[in-house]
Parts: sequence; C-alpha cells; structure tokens
Amino acid sequence: MVNSVIAGLTSGGGYALLGLCVVLTYRLVAVVNFAMTAVGAMGAFVMVSLTDDGMNVWLALPIGALSAALLSGLLGAALVRWFSGHRERTKAAVTVALFVALSAIGLRLFGSNSTGAHQFPNPFGDPVFTVGGVVVPQSVLVSLAFALLITLAVGLLLTRTRIGLKLQALSERPSTAEVVGIPAPRLAVGVWAGVGAITMLVIVLVAPRLGGDFGALSGLISTALAVAMVGAFRSLPLTLVGGLILGCLEGLSSSVDSIQKYQGVVPFLVILVLLWWRSRREVWDTAHSR
Amino acid sequence: MKKLTYLSAAAATVLAVSLTSACNSSDGGSDGPIKVGSINGITGLFQTPEVPKAVKAVFEEVNAAGGINGRKLELISKDDAMDPSRSGQAARELIQSNGVVALAGSSSAVDCGLNRATYSKEKIVSVPAIGVDPACFTSPNIAPVNPGPYALTTAMLYYASETLKRDKVCLDYTVLPGSGGGIEGAIKKWTEITGKTLTHKNLAVGQGDPTRYLVADKNAGCQAVLYNATVGPWFAQAKTQGMQKVDFILAANSYTDANAKTIPADMTAWAGTEWQPYTDPTLPGNDRWAKIVESNGIQKTAFSQGAVMAADIFVQVLKTIKGDITRESVTKAFKEMKPINYPMVGTPYVFGPGNEHNPIQGSRFVKADKGGWKVLPGGFTVPGKN
Repeated sequence: MVNSVIAGLTSGGGYALLGLCVVLTYRLVAVVNFAMTAVGAMGAFVMVSLTDDGMNVWLALPIGALSAALLSGLLGAALVRWFSGHRERTKAAVTVALFVALSAIGLRLFGSNSTGAHQFPNPFGDPVFTVGGVVVPQSVLVSLAFALLITLAVGLLLTRTRIGLKLQALSERPSTAEVVGIPAPRLAVGVWAGVGAITMLVIVLVAPRLGGDFGALSGLISTALAVAMVGAFRSLPLTLVGGLILGCLEGLSSSVDSIQKYQGVVPFLVILVLLWWRSRREVWDTAHSR
Repeated sequence: MKKLTYLSAAAATVLAVSLTSACNSSDGGSDGPIKVGSINGITGLFQTPEVPKAVKAVFEEVNAAGGINGRKLELISKDDAMDPSRSGQAARELIQSNGVVALAGSSSAVDCGLNRATYSKEKIVSVPAIGVDPACFTSPNIAPVNPGPYALTTAMLYYASETLKRDKVCLDYTVLPGSGGGIEGAIKKWTEITGKTLTHKNLAVGQGDPTRYLVADKNAGCQAVLYNATVGPWFAQAKTQGMQKVDFILAANSYTDANAKTIPADMTAWAGTEWQPYTDPTLPGNDRWAKIVESNGIQKTAFSQGAVMAADIFVQVLKTIKGDITRESVTKAFKEMKPINYPMVGTPYVFGPGNEHNPIQGSRFVKADKGGWKVLPGGFTVPGKN
C-alpha cells in the first residue's frame, strides 16, 4: 500500500501544476476557467501533430505554445468584451460551454489515441532514484520544480512588482482599475494568453505519463479544479500541496481492491468534502455574526 | 358533405401513409437491389471508417460479377458516433424506412447492446464485423465474425500460462460499463480449462499515470500481465519501473503499427489478434483481404479484415438461398447455415439457431520486434481445443 501511495505521489507534481494554472487564472482575472485544459490540450496536439509530421520538437514546442496562447487569448478577449460586467458564475458557465465545444472539436480533429497514433516526446523519462519499490523518473522532479517555480515566481510577481499590483487590482475591481488608468482589457487578454501557453507546457510535460489522448488530457480539468479547491482558489503553496495529496489519494484508492473501481471519483470527493467543510465554516460564522 | 370530404381526405391520407410505410418496410422483394444495413462508428470515440468501405468493396465485386440471382447488393451504412440515441435511431431507420434484409459488417461499440431487442422483434439477423459489447455474443439474432474481447481474453490467458509457461499471470484491464461480467466469465473459463487462477487482477485501470498499477503488479510478482488500454505511457513507465522481464500481453485493440513503435526495444510485448495477423498479407485468408483493401485504397487494419470476412460470409450465405431474397429468407438461411471454414480465423463460422453466438474462438499471437510486429509460428491458440 505504501508503494502505491508513493506511486500516486509521482503524478502529484503534474496535478499540482494544473491546479496552479486554475488558481493563477482566478487570481488574475477572477474567472474559474473550465476550458483551461482543453485549450492546453489543443496546443499540445498542434505540437505533436507537427512532430509526427517530422518537425523538430524544439521548433514545434513554441508553435504549440503560441497556438494555445492565441486560442486562450481569444477566449479571454471574448469574455472581456461580452461578459466583463457579469458575475463570476456566469463567466464560469461560459467556460463550461467552451470546454464542451473545444472537447468535441479536439476529439474530431485529433481522435482517440488507443491506436497510439500520436506520440508525445518524453525527454524526462529516465529514472533518478528508488523509494520503496517505486522508481522515480526525472519528469516527477521536473514537474515539482516547475510547480515550485510557478508558486514562487507568481507569489513574488503579485506582491513585489508594479504589474502584480495592477493585476491584483484588475482581478478585484476591473472597472475601478480601468478608471484609474490600468489598461484592464489588454492586461486581462495578456493573462489569458500567458496562462494558455503555460497550460500547454504543463500538458506536454504530463502527457507521456498520463496518456496522449485528447479526451483524457482535456478531462484533467476535474483534477485541476479539485487541486485548486484545496488552495481555496487563492493560496499557491496550498494548491501545490493539494496536487501531491490528490496524487497520493489516487494511488491509495487504486491499491485497495474494494474501492479501485471508484478511483475516478477521488477528485469529485475531494471537491465535495472541501465544499462541505468550507460551507460549514461559513454557516458557523454567519450564525455568530447574527 | 364537408365533413364527409374531410373524412375521405383523412382516410386517403391514412391509406397513403400505410401504403408508403408498407413499401418502405418491404423486406427485400424480388427485384431491385438487395439492401443491407450496417451501423458503424465513423466519428466519436470508437472510429472504424475503413469497415463500411471494405464491405462496400466486396459488394461491388459481387455486383460486377452479376450480383446475386441478378440482383445487386446495396450497403446502407449509418454512423452512430458511439451515441446510444443515434444507434437506436439508425437501427429503426435501416429496418423500417430502408427495408434492409439483414445487417452485415456493423462495427459500433454500442449497437449490439442497444439494438438486440429490435433485431429479435423484427426477426432480422446481424453479422457484425466487430463485436465489442457482451450482447454481441449473447443474442439470438447477432453473430460476429471476431472472437470478441471475452474469447480473446481466455485465449490470451491460455497463451500466458500454457505456451509461455508463466506461473504468475496477472490482468490489468479497462472494462467498458456492463462488460465486467464478460471478462470475469472469460477468466473463469480459463480456470476451468487449466485449473489455474490469477495472481493479481485490476478491472478498473483508468486514464492517467499507470505507475500505480505497474507498482501493484511488481509487488504481486507478476510474470505475465494481460493489458488492454493505452500502450505508450504504460510501456514508458514499465520501463522506468524496471519490468523488462515481464511478458506483457496486449489485447487486439492495441495491435496497431503505431503502438508497435511506442514499445521500447528492451520490453517484451505480445499481442493477441482476432484474425490472421494483418501485418503479414501472405497468411491464409489474408491474400484476399489484402487484394480488396489495396485495390480500393482502404487502410490496412484488423478491423478491415473483419469487414471483408463479414461481407464474404454474408454473400456466401445469400448464394445458398433459393427463391426470393427477403428478410425472412435471409434470417432462415443464417439460422440453418452449414459452418463455413474461413481461413482468416481459428474456428469455422456458423450462425445457427441458438440464443447465443460466439462461433469464432482463438487467437494468433504476434510479438513486438524492432518497432513492428513479428508473427509467431504455431497458428491459432484455441483454448480447450486439442
């Protein structure tokens, strides 16, 4: 069982990265972006289609990232243009609709991958060390390092830089930010494009381990949201820890025969328990404030 | 008077509608083309666009040679995109509106389960090119030309324990909803034949990082592992986990050229095939299939083998019918047919009168070698057959 938990931990780095991307979008443009992984998967599949056709991976990678950035920026521009005055839940609902549309388009364009038609490059597949009976490959360390880098860099950007301050203002009060001279729409579209490119890179990093299937990769949004919930859509370090916990829980659930059939439910259970826990505190606070 | 006119008009409409529907639901008749239906996954998650193309190619060959009793064969293929509502609608349209005499060469993952009752009620037979759902093998009016995932699993287990002589055999499968019982039945059949049991089993292998499943196999000491899900990440992580001495036996869905390229050179992988391995066109029965698909520019896959076989079997049975070719006569011919030896499979094909049909048994095995598949000698492994 311990080995299974460690095995689960190896995928936790990737989950943490996806959760961080969700938190990042929410903190910077105040949107829970359900379409995030579908956009990232689109970029990743643009890249892998080019490499399958013989293009060098280092040339195809920026093209894929750019296409994800463009697509994400386009979605961001649409949200800014038509939904900027709406509530958060309306914006979230728009991204749910976009997720459904992008998933359908992606499946049609890139198909299912049970035949092994698309092969993602796996430059970090070599083993580094062994814990218990589990061999840990380089990709796990790269995912964790990338997650730590994002946590630290974004934390510093938001608290120590002028642009960070503007971004925070944009997320808290977009209309007020615009009044005081912050170019809100341009900044928001820039954030969308940036997160799109980062998500694409994360998808490319996890694809060799999680399977190169468009449906599976775009469906990672449920895991990403569960992880983001651990950090309450605000805390980057807690989100990082949430990814690792979710990985361990998945490993644990697959090692117990009686519950292994239901391991796909783990992210939903995490979301449910956290929602219940947080709403319980709100009820408590409300009761005391009366 | 006015009322009478309305009534007459209504009666005429009803009569016209009933006549039209009678014409549409005609089950063949004695002239015009013989309409044959098929439900295929052209779009959606389970895509087999080459299947209706290959069936059509066989029918065109028959038509060019004069047809059957002077009548041409016409294939009407419907795409259900693995969508249950579309699949049900496709079956109703084919039977009621198009008036097909039978279904041949279907390749939908949901057709059998959804439409078995319709086929029984309408007394129409279906000869699928690919049967996936358990209902394909347990229905009175359906008999596929492939062994299917259950007979194949028994053959794969048999190959692992009896041919490769592995003591600790394990199974890691992704199981479609409703198919778990079929896989359990296949394992039970293997235990009955060999007296052996599985060392470790996981019927809930999901998408995502396969490390946790592989670590469980390592802990159990598995020497052979049967597997039926995405190949690339599985072998990449198995290599990382140092499982080079384990025999991985893949199900027929993984037997593709692209998958062979994803298997690292130092890993051992076998694949169970449902027909003669398609990668060697010189094998018995494959010459005919290769000729059909090559001359029509159709993709060479195992699925197109099933398509050619289903179409050939269908034509052979149709040729035995004396008199009109109607839905009734076609159903009767299949229920009373004599077994047909088709060299592309392990056992003869027969439809027969029973309530369950899984006529094709056994599997032939190939081994991953230098980015391709090497056909192994020894012919078909048919469990329980001496």
